[in-house]
Formats: sequence, structure tokens, C-alpha cells
Amino acid sequence: MPELGHFAILLSLFLSGYAIVIDILGSLRKDPGLIKSARNATIACLGCLSVAMVALWVLLVKSDFAVVYVAEHTSRALPFAYKFSALWAGSAGSLLLWSWLQVGFVVLVYCKSEFRHRRFSAHARVFANLVGFFFLIILTSDRNPFELSVVAAADGGGLNPLLQHPAMVLHPPILFVGYAGFLIPFAWAFGRLTTNQEDDGTALLKQAQRWTLFAWLFLTGGIVLGAWWAYEELGWGGYWAWDPVENSSLLPWLTATALLHCFRTYKPRFAIATWTILLSILTFSLCIFGRFLTKYGLVSSVHAFSSPGLGILYIVLLINVWVIAGILLVRRYMLTKSSAADSVVPNLRFIIVNNWLMLILAFVIFVGTLFPFLSKVFIKVVRSFSSQSVTPLAPITLAPEFFTKITAPGGLILLLLIGLCPHLLRHGFSKSWRIILAVIAVALALMVWLFTCSLDTTRPSDISGIIGWWGRWLLSGSATIPCFIICGFMLINIIVDFVHYEMKATANKKTGSTSPRNLRWYGSRIVHLGIAIMFIGIAGSGGYATEKNAALKPGEKTDIAEYELTFDALRAEHGRNFTAVTADISVYKGEQLIVRLKPAKAFYHASQKTVSEIDVRRTLGSDLYLALTEVDKGRELINLHIMIKPLINWIWIGSFVMVLGGLIVLFSSHRRKMTIQQNKGKDIEWAI
Amino acid sequence: MLIGVLVIGGGVGYFMYQAIQSSWAYYYSVDDFSANRAAVKNYSLRIAGRVKPGSVVRDLKKMDLTFTLAGVKTEVPVHYEGTVPDNFTEDIEVVVEGRLGVNGTFEAKTVLTRCESKYRVKVK
Repeated sequence: MPELGHFAILLSLFLSGYAIVIDILGSLRKDPGLIKSARNATIACLGCLSVAMVALWVLLVKSDFAVVYVAEHTSRALPFAYKFSALWAGSAGSLLLWSWLQVGFVVLVYCKSEFRHRRFSAHARVFANLVGFFFLIILTSDRNPFELSVVAAADGGGLNPLLQHPAMVLHPPILFVGYAGFLIPFAWAFGRLTTNQEDDGTALLKQAQRWTLFAWLFLTGGIVLGAWWAYEELGWGGYWAWDPVENSSLLPWLTATALLHCFRTYKPRFAIATWTILLSILTFSLCIFGRFLTKYGLVSSVHAFSSPGLGILYIVLLINVWVIAGILLVRRYMLTKSSAADSVVPNLRFIIVNNWLMLILAFVIFVGTLFPFLSKVFIKVVRSFSSQSVTPLAPITLAPEFFTKITAPGGLILLLLIGLCPHLLRHGFSKSWRIILAVIAVALALMVWLFTCSLDTTRPSDISGIIGWWGRWLLSGSATIPCFIICGFMLINIIVDFVHYEMKATANKKTGSTSPRNLRWYGSRIVHLGIAIMFIGIAGSGGYATEKNAALKPGEKTDIAEYELTFDALRAEHGRNFTAVTADISVYKGEQLIVRLKPAKAFYHASQKTVSEIDVRRTLGSDLYLALTEVDKGRELINLHIMIKPLINWIWIGSFVMVLGGLIVLFSSHRRKMTIQQNKGKDIEWAI
Repeated sequence: MLIGVLVIGGGVGYFMYQAIQSSWAYYYSVDDFSANRAAVKNYSLRIAGRVKPGSVVRDLKKMDLTFTLAGVKTEVPVHYEGTVPDNFTEDIEVVVEGRLGVNGTFEAKTVLTRCESKYRVKVK
């Protein structure tokens, strides 16, 4: 079985290389036979990778510990679901999954036998397969999941207990569907650049747009699941630590969000088209870069990873991609003579502002993430110029506060804009000056009010002091109240927008003009609604959290906020692959017992690791979060980490609403596609 | 256009400067730290090393923790108050964050354990 899997991967490597060469040859010679052959090779490549996936699954489920990967990620006692999900628990397996998904998506999109887009598909396939080829090289040489160990282990090391959680079973594959999905807009962008056929592309464009939305949805879901897992499993009460691993999934999310907005106003031969193409390539590049960053430790992360190995190949790939993209973009610039000004494009202003914000946010997070690496290079360069060693030669790392501080102002501006947008879209930019002025006035009044509130201690005397104070204030945690106010403003605006839309629809019905309900419109507003809800949760749980540590003996009490907690007793529990010590805690509010919580510490036999299992009392208002951090040897004394996280559940609710809205848009554009196919030949509107 | 770019760029730069100022720290291994001890005593630092076996003293009642952080050649005593991460035990990689105290002990504000490998369990 391992030999079969390894052979299948080698064969798929060969097939994807073959497909690239033959697609290029076929396109140059305009030979349909060759192109067809390359298409079949791509499909066969998917077949081979599927065989490899199945082989690895069989090995994992059968617990064949002769295979290193199986021995390192599973053990005999591991429940079936975790044996199954161990496929993506390791570096090699997850790379196999990612490659499989990528090729799968390419087969779904660019291997159809439609005659119309044959040339375009061939071009797009070359670039998609090029990425796949690089991934497969790394998979075959560096991270072979089918490697056999010299001596077969009697039992495996077991899955890391932190990963034994339902969210962690789903989180990686969902994230990978997102990453791999961005290959489609990426391939589309290159197809567009190389073919330079603009007029024939409506269907292709819509396809790329739909796939971007699809990937964006999965990426959103994956990021939120990861955050939820961190909150549930890691026991520190937070959900986001600004770790390089997390940041690397946020970066493509930001650019993809910008890209989604761009697609809405895409017009061929306009500057916005070039911009959209650039963003498509950038988004997928950031996915690859994230893979490089997380797996090959350029910057030190709390998640330490294995040796660099062939990770440099990802960088080689990225350099290749951008050199080719650069050349093609210059060529495009030379070929197209822009005839019309971009101002004809509807709603362009909003798109530009949205894009700028997203890119600036992505940029600062990118710099912050790479700061240890960049600062070391910078210091080295400075040192080489001056003989004195002024600063110690060591990388400079930034604490998570850097990110919260730097993203807070950007996030607030973003929220304000989302709130303003429905109004601006209805009335136009020039007619809305009153409301813009009103918003600025309210914002200023708010700032002055907050400023006077905190005057006593921090009043700066001179002008530069005041400016500095403002900077620090904007960056400090006191952004919570403005965030609430802006979210409220957003919610009101979105609701007003809904009402307005309904009224217009009814009026149209009366006059008899047919205006079909635009599901897409609803979907996109629901996404924005979800963002408002989510930010209420973020601001609330960040700004008003209370926490304390308590060392307790049985029978002892402690209190936090309105709750009183009594530690009743410790008891032992036995699970299939762990033993746990559980603390029974009674929670009282006033005199009344409201809940019994059972935080525990579990010891996993296979991996010899201890993990604390938290317990939470959830309400929409706030969470009471208990983590049993330590139990002393005599089992007399426990250490409890108690936290109150206000409004935190609104983060999960908001993200659910976001994904729901996205699904509605996806569904409506699918329906739209059907209508377009029915109305083939009729004139179809570009922007919605 | 140019003014706009300057204003935005200036604003972003200013915010970044402010945010970096309040959160930066040098990152050292224990040995590098020991070699530069005098030069870095006034900076906030992050030091990576191993928890020396047998050096951990934990007072649960006071939430007090002391241990020795060992590099390849040198070591440094660390003092910390607060909750300890789940997987903190002897002989693992940790990163401590804080400043060098007056008596030569490193006063840590946080102790981060590094998952040896997030996804992998070593086979013995």
C-alpha cells in the first residue's frame, strides 16, 4: 500500500509536468490534439492523487505503523474520526490534501470540453499546473507521506491531544479548500493576461468571481473555526493571538475581500481590470507565502516547525510567478490603449477606498509578522556601514499588542465606511455631503467628549504632546466605545437600507415594472450585518473582559463580578485514551446555584501530554470561562483561571451571519448563471 | 493625489511607529543573551531556551515560579508570577518575555511554551 501511494504521487508529478509542457506546445502550435492530451493528463493527475489520498487513509485507519507518518500522527487507541482526520494533521498529509484539492478544482473549472474557451482553459491550466508541479516536487522529495521507517513501531505516538477536538478535525480541510480555491482566480488572471481576449470573457469572469467567493467563504469559515478552537481548547480565554500562523491566513483573507469588491465593478480594458488581475495573483501568492511561513519558520513562532528542507521552493515559485506576472502586465500595458476614463465605472470610489484599507491593513500585518526577520536584516545592513556596534544584533519581535493597536484605527474606519456605504450608494456621493459632515461632526464630538473624560491624569500641555496623546488614544484599548457606537450606526444604516429597498420593491410592483428580488443584494448586506455583529463581540470581549487567578482548597470560595464560585471536590475520570482530573465548581449568583462547571486536566497516554479542558457557562451577555491550570501533587490545592468575556458569543454569531450572507450571494450567482445560459445571445449587464 | 498619498502614508507610518514603540523586544537565545548581557540590560527582551531539569520551583499559593533557563553553554535564572501554560514542564523549549532584574534574575512577564511541533508527536 505505501508503495502504491508513493508511486501514485510520482506519477501525478510526471503527469502534471507533462500537462504543462504539452499545453504550452499545443497553444503555440494551435494543435487541439495536444491541448486535449494535456487536459486528459490533468484529469489523470487528479486520479493519481486520489489514489494516493485513499492509500494514505487506508494506512491510517489500518494503523500500519511501518509508515512514519502513520506512526507519528496516530495510535491504536485513537478514535476512528481522529485516525481519519490525521490525514491533514501533519505537514506531508496536509500538502497532499492541498495538492489534491487544487488539481480537483482545476479539473472542475478548466478541463471542460467546451470549445469556446479551449484556448483560455489551456493557458489557465499551464499556470495552475505549474503551482501543482512545485507542490508535488516538495511532496515527493521532502515531505513524502509514505516514507517507511526502518523498524516498524509497536504503537504510534498518537495525535497531539490539542488537536483532538471537533473544530480541529474540520478547521484544516476547510482552510485548505479556501487556499486551493484561490487558485482559480489566480489561473484566470494569468489566462486573461496571456490570451488578451477581453470580449469573450463574461462567463469566464463570472466563474472566477464565483470561485473567489466560494474560496473566501471557506477561508472565513476556516479562520473562525480556528479562533473558536483556540478559545475552547487552549485555555487562555482568547481566540486570536496574532501569531504568524494566524496572520498568514488573515493576509489572503484581506486581499480576497478587496478582490471580491473589485470583481463587482470589473470592466475589461479599464484600469480596474488590471487591478483585479493583480489582486487575484496577490491573494493566491499570499496563500503560498503563508504555507512557507508556517511550515519553514522564517520567523520564530510559538508553533515551532520542522527543518527548512525544500521550503525555499515556495519562494522560488513565488519569484517565478511574479516575474512572469510582471512581464505579462507590462505587455498588457503596451498592447491596450485605454480609451475611456475609469470614472465611467460605477461605484468605483467605494471600491478604491475599500481596497486601500484592506491593502494597508494587510501591509501592516505583513510587516508586523515579518518584523523579526526584517529588523535583523536592517540591523545587519546598518552595522555593515558603521564600524561601531550601536545596537545588538538580534531580531526584534513585536508583542501581539502591536497588531491590536495598529488594526484598531483601520478597523474603525472600515466599519464607518461599511455603515456609510448603503446611504452613499442610494443617494450618490455628491448628494450625501450632509450625512458625511454629520458623521464627521459626531466623530469629532465623540473624541472631544472622551478626551475631556480622561483629562485629569493624562492632559498634555503642548501641541506635540496633544498630537501624541491622540495617536496613543486611537491606538489604545479605549477604541471600544467608538467601536460600539460605529457598530450601532452601521446596524441602523443597514436596517434603513433594508426598509428602503423593500419600499422601492413594493412601489415598483404597484407601477407594474418588473424588478425581480435581488437575492445578491440581500446576501451582500447580510455579510456586512454579520461584520457589525462580529465587531460588537470583538470590542466587548476585548474591552470589558475581567479575569483572575485563584488558588483553592476543597470547600473554599472565590468571587468574580456577580458570581461566587465554590470548589467542591476533585475527582478522577477515565476516557478511552486519557485519564483526567476534574474539579467540580458550583457557581452561585446571590444565593442561587446557577450552574456546576467541571474544568479538567486530561493526561493523554499515547503522547504523554497534559491538556486542560475548559468549561464555560455561555450566555449571550457574557461567558464565564474556567480553566483548571494546575493541580498540586497532594491533590489538595488547585489553581483556577477564571474569566468573564462579555459579548464574546456575538463573534461566532456574527461570523455565522457573514457566512450565511456569502452563501446567499453564491447561490444567487449560481441561479444567475442558469439564467445567463438560458438567455444566451442576449445582452447581459456587467455590473450589478 | 500626491497629498493624499502623503497624508495616508504619513498616518500609517505614524501609527506603526507608535505601535512598534510600545511592543518591541529583542529576541535572543540564552547563549546570545549571556554574551550581550551588559548591552541589553535596559531593553525588554524575549529569550528562548530550555527549562533545566530539576530547577523548577513552583509555589501554587503565591503563584510564584522560578526556574533556570538553559542554553547550550550558559544559563539564566528566571522568576515569574502568574499562571503557567498547560504544557509547561521540565526540559522543554520556552520563550520568556520581560527584563533583566537588578539581582541578575530575569523577571518574566510572560512564559510561552513552544509546541515542539504543533502537529507532530515524536516517536520514541
